[in-house]
Amino acid sequence: MDLLSNLALGFSVALTPWNILFAFIGAMIGTLIGVLPGIGPIATIAMLLPLTFHLEPTAGLIMLAGIFYGAQYGGSTSAILINLPGETSSVVTTLDGHQMAIQGRAGAALAAAALASFFAGCVSTALLAAFAPPLARVGQSFGSPEYFSLMLLGLIAAVVLAHGSVIKAIAMIVLGLLLGLVGTDGNTGGQRFTFGLNELADGLDVATLAIGLFGISEIMANLAQRDASRDVVAKKITRLWPTADDFRRGWPAVLRGTSLGAVLGVLPGGGATLSSFAAYALEKRVSDRPAMFGRGAIEGVAAPEAANNAGAQSSFIPMLTLGIPGNPVMALMIGALMIHGIQPGPQIMTERPEMFWGMVASMWVGNLMLVIINLPLIGFWVQLLKVPYRFLYLAILLFCAIGVYTVSNSPAAVIMAAVFGVAGYLFQRLHCEPAPLILGFVLGPLMEENLRRALRVSGGDPMIFVERPVSLGLLIVAAILLLIVALPAIRSGREQAFQE
Amino acid sequence: MTEFSGLPLSRPWRRFVQRDVLTGLLFVALAGLGLWLSRDYPVGTALRMGTGYMPRMLCWILLGLGAVIAARGFRDPGGDRSDVPIGIEALRPVVLVFTALVVFGLALERLGLVVAILLLVGLGALAGRNLRPAETILAAAFLIVLAWAVFIAGLGLTIPVWPEI
Repeated sequence: MDLLSNLALGFSVALTPWNILFAFIGAMIGTLIGVLPGIGPIATIAMLLPLTFHLEPTAGLIMLAGIFYGAQYGGSTSAILINLPGETSSVVTTLDGHQMAIQGRAGAALAAAALASFFAGCVSTALLAAFAPPLARVGQSFGSPEYFSLMLLGLIAAVVLAHGSVIKAIAMIVLGLLLGLVGTDGNTGGQRFTFGLNELADGLDVATLAIGLFGISEIMANLAQRDASRDVVAKKITRLWPTADDFRRGWPAVLRGTSLGAVLGVLPGGGATLSSFAAYALEKRVSDRPAMFGRGAIEGVAAPEAANNAGAQSSFIPMLTLGIPGNPVMALMIGALMIHGIQPGPQIMTERPEMFWGMVASMWVGNLMLVIINLPLIGFWVQLLKVPYRFLYLAILLFCAIGVYTVSNSPAAVIMAAVFGVAGYLFQRLHCEPAPLILGFVLGPLMEENLRRALRVSGGDPMIFVERPVSLGLLIVAAILLLIVALPAIRSGREQAFQE
Repeated sequence: MTEFSGLPLSRPWRRFVQRDVLTGLLFVALAGLGLWLSRDYPVGTALRMGTGYMPRMLCWILLGLGAVIAARGFRDPGGDRSDVPIGIEALRPVVLVFTALVVFGLALERLGLVVAILLLVGLGALAGRNLRPAETILAAAFLIVLAWAVFIAGLGLTIPVWPEI
């Protein structure tokens, strides 16, 4: 009955008018940027991060979380209507969703996506509520050696599950760890990589880094490409409700997508995108009519949309219970906690139960709002899709610039974001994913602190990491993961999986 | 988009303009820079780590990873070098977006929000290629009103709106 009283506490927080307002704002902004290709939740959350400083922490987190899962709803709209994914997690939705739209069944596709997302969001929020407390208890028993090994495992797992070259991703992590060291060393007071600049003495800011790497570099990349024309399916959306046959085929797909997404979301490197790809591949395999996939199969819309929302929601589990971010959005959430002086980790749940349970309850509230925002108001979002990118990027650029200025109210942050923008563009051209870099950046200082503490306990003996059973176990899993991707046979299988 | 394959490079040089080789060399260069910058940081021991212990260790790891990436790319001469653009046309948006942001950052506090937005939109519009002058002015006016409404009136940020005299 503990869970019930906790949830009651959560709803008492989430249902205050103020927090309902911020859940709504988050859901609206999330849908907006989800619908619009060219700006994603990472850049948006980074932009709004400094502003949450002025809010009460719970309200700020409720809003930022709403943006993340709201974007999963909005992303499907542009995928279905203009064959251009609003978010990377909606890439596979274009395959069957847009085909359905061409066949005049856009309404059914949109409804299937929204209802699947709603169901998955509600279920995985329930999982979050059920599994977070026991996980946090495990986390609380960890000492510094266990924490260090856990973070190492998290970073390696993130690389293995991400797509692209493993060794490049590891190099990006190391680069991120190095960037995380910039500033004053908390233990010795020495300056590291500050070039004698005052602006760097407190270290780089995660929002500045993320806006540069994900927001500004995206603008540069889009402008460097030749213009792709976008055609909104102009046919009037007449019938929103899916047919009985759609329901019959859609339900099992939603259930499978939800379970897969909820599991993959918890893993580091998982989250919305990986879940949607995996769910699509699974549907194609178990379907009794695989030939229909790519030609407007409703399962091909329902399963990935359920999976990406389930994955988005369940990726909060490791972040809130262990303080370990599995993807860049969770890294930014940790940044948001730290702005308010809240140390991320298992103690959050016991020290700030109103914040934790308020956030959980707000996710149900937010998901309910999103169905309403996305289905009856679909016409509004369709209008928005007609705004050409040549206007849109100016607005995105301006909001990036002002957002980054508010990080520290200093012009230096804007200039740094511009530098990271160029770096991000370069990395994109070199096929280096920026996500591992952000994870390394956030975990860097925490890892150093735990490494130092562990070695102080052991008197400088690194064997402490293999002498403690839990730490050893975590390291063995990390080593196995690395070995697996190093083996050529499995590597080619993995590449195939990502090609699908 | 300019492609490398069209460049008049002799064969041994073409091996270098391959994506993985360039990536590896970039990591090696960054690691080298880090090692040089941290050359005077006290390293200390594992028990009593100095300021330089972690940075230097990570730089050496990065150096090694970069070398492996470059070597693997070099061994694979047929590797992908397809779409690495080096033409001026591809650099244009990068340079202009960068400049627009730097100018905005420097202008905001001294010249105020309105002038800074005009500069940002002006330079930003040059980065795209198909924005007409009238559209740009319209977009700037709209964005000034929007930014004022959201950030000054709505969120109460203390950014000067007009140039300080």
